[in-house]
Amino acid sequence: MKEELFNVQREIEKIQNEFDFDYVGVAFVQSADRRFELRWKYVTGNQSDRHQRLALQSGKGIAGLVFKTGKPMFISNADEELGGEDLYNYPIVVAEGLKSFGAIPLYKYNRVRGVLLAGYRTDGRLKAEVFREFQEWMGPQFGPFYSKEMVCE
Amino acid sequence: MNGISGMQLSELLMKLYGNSAEAIFFFDRDGNVLGMNDAAADILEEDVYRQLMAGQSGAICQTCKGYMSADELQTCASCYMSKPDEDISSFQVYFDTKGKGIIPYSASIQTIDQENGIRAFLLRDMTHQFQTQEELNQKRMMKRVIKAQENERKRLSRELHDSVAQEMLSSLVDLRVLKYMNISEEALKKLQQTEGSLMRLLDDIRHLSVELRPATLDDLGLKAAFRTHFKWIEKNYGLAIHFDTDLESERYGGEVETVFYRVCQEAVFNALKYADVEEITVELHEQDDTLQLFVKDEGKGFDLYEIEPKGTGLGLFGMKERAELVDGDFTVESVVGKGTSIRLRVPVKRRDDA
Repeated sequence: MKEELFNVQREIEKIQNEFDFDYVGVAFVQSADRRFELRWKYVTGNQSDRHQRLALQSGKGIAGLVFKTGKPMFISNADEELGGEDLYNYPIVVAEGLKSFGAIPLYKYNRVRGVLLAGYRTDGRLKAEVFREFQEWMGPQFGPFYSKEMVCE
Repeated sequence: MNGISGMQLSELLMKLYGNSAEAIFFFDRDGNVLGMNDAAADILEEDVYRQLMAGQSGAICQTCKGYMSADELQTCASCYMSKPDEDISSFQVYFDTKGKGIIPYSASIQTIDQENGIRAFLLRDMTHQFQTQEELNQKRMMKRVIKAQENERKRLSRELHDSVAQEMLSSLVDLRVLKYMNISEEALKKLQQTEGSLMRLLDDIRHLSVELRPATLDDLGLKAAFRTHFKWIEKNYGLAIHFDTDLESERYGGEVETVFYRVCQEAVFNALKYADVEEITVELHEQDDTLQLFVKDEGKGFDLYEIEPKGTGLGLFGMKERAELVDGDFTVESVVGKGTSIRLRVPVKRRDDA
């Protein structure tokens, strides 16, 4: 399936409905001439337009971390786990007021191409089991992407 | 007698004795107290006072915590009381005083009546001077730390930029050469991925170098460095910065430029962390040989007199210290619920070699 034919916007809205998420967003890594910045291309349930200004470097913010590590990230209480003082390092969490959320890498050709972030504006609403359930529901494929590192190509 | 009659003098001396804030004791040759003024009685615990007045020699040792010598801060070695014939015009001594704990005094002991061996012992409270001195030392230290930190950042930044990044770049070029050799489709694909990773790594190193200290600041000046920094903030934190300046590519002394850059950086970060705003305003103008920086947000604001600061509490202090490094003037205004603004004013002379 080609990226263009796969309607990301429709898909994240479907995810939002299924789990009643307050917010779902997908960030994609830009091409080399765009310095591999991560941009939040598709969002739903957003309360601000701040994501449009964001162009994260690898390793910065939620998207940058998941991108760099290639591992999912799960936070059940943002203020406690990310530390109130350092929360500004996660601008999307601040802008959208997310309190419990999960993020998963989106792979293509064994490289992380994007990051999917879904969450609630309430503490502890996303529980570890629910996040697992969500990952299972998503399945290994998200359009042309897959969510687990695979060694074969 | 120097224009004062004997009567007047004794009256004045009585007043001095009674009203002075300095503690005055009179001792005889054996170290017994003959008398003390109210200021002296005030600093003594009642118990010690009674013992002293009862003529117990050595009672003073209960309250005296030693004097300062070249070897030790508080010592009793060759005590000032032990040599009745020696005058010491000024030395520092610690006394355990009533209600105030151990405090430093400047003391003097001298014989005023040779015949009867009577000596006067005077104590002057030094707490305030010491605090002032401490503050001064702290400030001087802080300034040195700021300078050292800046130099170290510069060194590391240069090293990363000139050496590490350069090496990286030449390996990248080497790698690219491979693309034009006869290699399989599969190898080419892998090669492109590796090239991508290396380029990202190179970018990371460059970012690190700029974060430590932007070369733009040294090479192109304040305006360019500000613009680059604001762009970076906008991209990484989503905070919009409205930057207004009438500067072109004017250059100022390196120290002044550093101070402006760091103060602005700190102020913007403060707004980002605590103000809870989407946008802020930064203005940079030169007028009448004064360079002015103005950073303003309309966010949460804070109580300037709050004792417990958010964060480390070093930020505002550091900005003030930096301003003082270049004889600048730094002010903060903040109203809870209305927002915060900082202003930095520094007298400047332009550098002509720009």
